[in-house]
Amino acid sequence: MFEYIKNSRKILGMNSRNLKFIRPYNLKRAKRLADDKLLSKKILRKNNIAVPKLIALIKTREDLENFDWQSLPDSFALKPNRGFGGEGILVVYGKKKNGEDTWIKADRSTVTVDDLKNHIQNIFDGSFSLSNTPDVAFFEERLQLLKLFKPYAYKGIPDIRVIVFNKIPIMAMLRLPTKESGGKANLQQGAIGVGIDMATGITTSAIQGKNKFIEKIPGTRLALSGVKIPYWKDILTLAVRAQEISGLGFLGADIAIDKERGPVILELNARPGLSIQVANLAGLKERLERISGLKIKGSEKGVRMGMDLFGGEVEEEVEGISGKKVIGTVEKVKLIGKDGKEIEVDAKIDTGAGFSSIDTELAKDLGFAETILKFENLNPGYETLKNLNLEQRKNIFSDVPDLSDTAIIHSSHGTTYRPMVNLSIVMNGVLIPTKVSIIDRSSLKFRIIIGKKNLGKFLIDVKKTSF
Amino acid sequence: MQTISPIIQYFLASGVPLDTVILILMLPIIATFIAFLRQVVGIKAFGIYTPLIITFAFLATNGLKYGIAIFIAVILVGMLMRFVLRPFRLLYLPRVAITLTVVALLILFLLVAGGAMRRTGLAAVSIFPILIMITLVEKFVAVQIEKGNKTAILLAFETLVISIIGYYIASWGSLVELLVIHPWATLLTLPINILLGKWTGLRINEYFRFKEVIKKM
Repeated sequence: MFEYIKNSRKILGMNSRNLKFIRPYNLKRAKRLADDKLLSKKILRKNNIAVPKLIALIKTREDLENFDWQSLPDSFALKPNRGFGGEGILVVYGKKKNGEDTWIKADRSTVTVDDLKNHIQNIFDGSFSLSNTPDVAFFEERLQLLKLFKPYAYKGIPDIRVIVFNKIPIMAMLRLPTKESGGKANLQQGAIGVGIDMATGITTSAIQGKNKFIEKIPGTRLALSGVKIPYWKDILTLAVRAQEISGLGFLGADIAIDKERGPVILELNARPGLSIQVANLAGLKERLERISGLKIKGSEKGVRMGMDLFGGEVEEEVEGISGKKVIGTVEKVKLIGKDGKEIEVDAKIDTGAGFSSIDTELAKDLGFAETILKFENLNPGYETLKNLNLEQRKNIFSDVPDLSDTAIIHSSHGTTYRPMVNLSIVMNGVLIPTKVSIIDRSSLKFRIIIGKKNLGKFLIDVKKTSF
Repeated sequence: MQTISPIIQYFLASGVPLDTVILILMLPIIATFIAFLRQVVGIKAFGIYTPLIITFAFLATNGLKYGIAIFIAVILVGMLMRFVLRPFRLLYLPRVAITLTVVALLILFLLVAGGAMRRTGLAAVSIFPILIMITLVEKFVAVQIEKGNKTAILLAFETLVISIIGYYIASWGSLVELLVIHPWATLLTLPINILLGKWTGLRINEYFRFKEVIKKM
């Protein structure tokens, strides 16, 4: 119960969204820009932000009467300028072969010039705009669906909603049109919303409609989690740039990915919905509070902050930055010895050791029994060896098979002279060919320790356990 | 019985009917109640004006049941006309005009039918509350277009519930008495509204909406 109350404080509700974020950060002028699709398109394009291309603008009934319908391409989208919640958008996919000026919609129904005229009249009358204010209509290019999204989207184009505050992208959601939503990427109409890990652009949990949790696309076995969104960093950068240009402090940017053009901004939203929290199983308020007051210079920095702060797994984040794998202090490793002999053991990660070393018995199992035997026979002991130079020492052991080197090791065993052999260690998916020293570790817990020489590709998290 | 406040006595002496005075003093209270339901509970209804005016329409009809009957009739016609008019693909205002016409005729029919069945209470309802209810249609059709039938019906239902509760609040004897004795009490709604206007906590319905998130976080 206590936990519940504590967690509920992380959620952004309508009241605080309106009062604490929209009111102070989205000023009237910026809001007007977001609500006017044509104006925001124009301004974004001026600033070299990719937007869908405008085909034609129909402002008055005169424009409508004089419009050359032949000039329309085979596929296009007809939109109301101040449309709300994806209403009033008409998309056609191709021209009918025999019929003149007849287009085909996603559901295979046809659209004639009269239908288009009627739709535009409705737009003029404000049927689709907020509080029925008169509106204008425009045609724009239809975006091409990315191949990756094809199985996930039902007759429409998915888009990615990114919430940006203070130049930092703080939460994102992939919206997939469904049968219920009639091919529209609008959650209220029944589209699917999939949460996205900010660091990696990989999808996490999903909802359909406002709050029904789902794991797969309904009617299929297609999992919704684990999809890597292409151009992830570009998408975030685009969203942050859109915020800088629009002046909307609290922005919901809708971005679609075109097959040829890559990410383009579809729309800016001054009152982004709150369901994104359900899709991501995370609270916006908590994230907003964490970054308020930060001074961010430039979109690049903001994007990096967002990725670092709001990525799910800290590990993946660090791996993303450094290119190094994160391992714990004990890791399962696979050893590949002589003639490809493989043994899996638990290894202790020991940054105090230089070389890695393995137990004598283990070395024998890996095919080095003969090496060890011969080495022991020839070993005159450390006291003798320490007075010889490198050349002389090498000569003593020149007959030992598979011996790659010898080493004087100072350790808790005292100072010893050890044989070294070549083998490969596979740890956390990384293959490390190396030489290791051999010593009797039968009284110790781990039969192998991995030393500094083999840890160059890793970062060690002392709290991580791999079991 | 305490005495009627002097200011109200002055109003009465100036010829303003007591009922009117009480209705006007009651208005801020009902409005505040609706604001509370929106900000704290999360009930949307059709904004603040529609439930408020419907509450007063209920108060002005003779008895709640006729008011509810007319309300439901209006909404049913609004729903029905959407399907009837869909194939014609009409523009917005003519479409609302036709719906209004049908609603008006239906109510006329209801009044006549009520009279014929000796339910004179219905026929005796004055014309203004009926007109108010008819204007509900526009609100309903607008929401229907913007957010779909389901949302429109839900909001209509919420409006109905709020108006019924509002009706009981406004006709609550003790409250009426309080206003007659201390008419200034209605100004207490001002600080309440200032608090409501600054309220940034989660609405009660949001605890349900985000239940899963809060649990799984």
